[in-house]
Amino acid sequence: MDITEILNLAFEAIKVNKLRSALTALGIIIGVASVILLVSLGAGLRNYITSEFEKLGSNVLFVLPGRVGFGGRGPGGATVNKLSLEHVKRIERKVKNLVGVVPTIQQFTTVKYQNKVQKDVTLIGTTQLFAEIVNLPAVRGDFFDKSQVDSGKKVAVIGQTIVNEVFATKDPIGEKIDVKGQKYQVIGVLRAQGSTFGVDQDNAVIIPFTAAQRQFGTNQVNNIYAKAQTQTNVEEVAKLMKKVLLEDLSEDDFSVLTAKQTLSTIQAILGVISSTLAGIAAISLLVGGIGISNIMLVSVTERTREIGLRKAVGARPTDVLLQFLFEAIILSVLGGIIGLILASIGAWVASRFIPALITPWSVLIAFGFSVLVGVVFGVAPAIRAARLTPIEALRHE
Amino acid sequence: MNVLIDAGNLQKTYGEGESKTEALKKVSIKVRAGEFVAIIGPSGSGKSTLMNILGCLDRPDSGNYLFENRDIGKLSDIELAKIRNRKIGFVFQAFNLLARTSALKNVELPLIYSGVKQDERNTRAMQVLEDVNLSDKLKSTPAQLSGGQQQRVAIARALINNPLVIFADEPTGNLDTKSSNEIMEIFKKLNEKGRTIVMITHEKDIAQRAARIITMRDGQITSDKKNLHKKRNITQV
Repeated sequence: MDITEILNLAFEAIKVNKLRSALTALGIIIGVASVILLVSLGAGLRNYITSEFEKLGSNVLFVLPGRVGFGGRGPGGATVNKLSLEHVKRIERKVKNLVGVVPTIQQFTTVKYQNKVQKDVTLIGTTQLFAEIVNLPAVRGDFFDKSQVDSGKKVAVIGQTIVNEVFATKDPIGEKIDVKGQKYQVIGVLRAQGSTFGVDQDNAVIIPFTAAQRQFGTNQVNNIYAKAQTQTNVEEVAKLMKKVLLEDLSEDDFSVLTAKQTLSTIQAILGVISSTLAGIAAISLLVGGIGISNIMLVSVTERTREIGLRKAVGARPTDVLLQFLFEAIILSVLGGIIGLILASIGAWVASRFIPALITPWSVLIAFGFSVLVGVVFGVAPAIRAARLTPIEALRHE
Repeated sequence: MNVLIDAGNLQKTYGEGESKTEALKKVSIKVRAGEFVAIIGPSGSGKSTLMNILGCLDRPDSGNYLFENRDIGKLSDIELAKIRNRKIGFVFQAFNLLARTSALKNVELPLIYSGVKQDERNTRAMQVLEDVNLSDKLKSTPAQLSGGQQQRVAIARALINNPLVIFADEPTGNLDTKSSNEIMEIFKKLNEKGRTIVMITHEKDIAQRAARIITMRDGQITSDKKNLHKKRNITQV
């Protein structure tokens, strides 16, 4: 008796019990779909974050106030910000191999133009080097220059969102916007960046550091950005920056982070989260497998007379074994395929809101796992069916 | 005629200790090709056990059994399955058809295990269903058929591989008189065409249709006679 005949028998048995088969496969469907979906969300998020950091450039370094990292307090928060322009100057003086170092003052603010109001705008006060260090040039007009920073000129480079919301089709260059009661002349429009973690990066206004200092009456610096000349000496530069800052500050007052470090930290966290979630989803796949085993055992008991008859008319033990094993495998493979389709739809829907990426290996693993579940959980009931003696099986009530 | 079934000193015991029952106590039996044998006896007399052993569904504890001159005791389970598939047809009291499966598919079943392809299975199944006058019920499932019709499907299934012998275990046990007569008429015709039939029954009336009647009691054969008064006519209802 060849394999296709046995497959046919298994398919027919599944068709005869449509509802039961569907419910049994449902366990596998949910398991496979959730494993693939969660893994794809994790993979999508990692890809997205990696590409965001690559846009920033991998030789960028940040100095944040407070201690950042595992077990420490978060940035800002409860710590007092001790970073100041003095520290920027020290770094400028003492750290070599830098393309540049810039301070930033960052606030959320409201921008007005005529009768239009744009809320939750990120206001960044910085120097002319900022554009180069974080790779954010003006695509229309110009970024401000050194003389404008030195003189504290009230000029602004604005993001694409502000152009769209406030100016619409009007050319913003040369217009004056109102930032917290003070007028700034628009001299440039920043390259569009899209949004990161749901925050619109283009809803921003960048003004000269000195103008921001004057307007907000502060000597503090929120963050310091620096860029190393080459990727290879980033870590060395970070060490040196830390040493320079320690001359004036204590370990708990600041953190020097590199883009690479930050990326790998975030990736590590995401990796742990996504594998934990996939692990939990895998448990549901296991439960689905137990469901298959349970149904197959019920099926063997219920169909004992059928098994007896098949044996009486000439089925060999292996014929019976394979028939029941294939039934279990078909159920789990069908469940796997439907689960995969559902996960693809789910990932497609999810990708409109959050990054999701179906990776070939997550499909392979989930699919392989569902076949394995079919074999492992189908084999015991199938052996039971194959071992029944025809007499006992025929006599079964 | 050739001896088809030659069994000697068959013994079979079920259970242990208190519940131990000797189903067969040294039973010997010979059946020639073309015979129509009825085995009659009360329940517990060992007739079903004997038929299971002769039908290669079960093995005796001791004794020897030659089927078509082959020593069944020396064959593996796989070889026994092959003999049941090719040489033996079974008809059961409870019909034992696959539920929710068409008559045609039920009849095809043994051919699946003989490795016959779908097209040929179909043709042959239709042929035997025609032989039992069920050409109009090919697509019907057992639930849509009367008891008599179901038993005719079962007979068609037993015949599909053109077996040497048909073993029928109380084939009329679940049927009314009219259907019983139809079934017995089919057996009679099959036997007239040379098919060997071994039938178990506890109804004397049914046993009278056979040419040879073997009576069993307490695991032993108590009589084995030619049926000289064999009924030729169907009892009118």
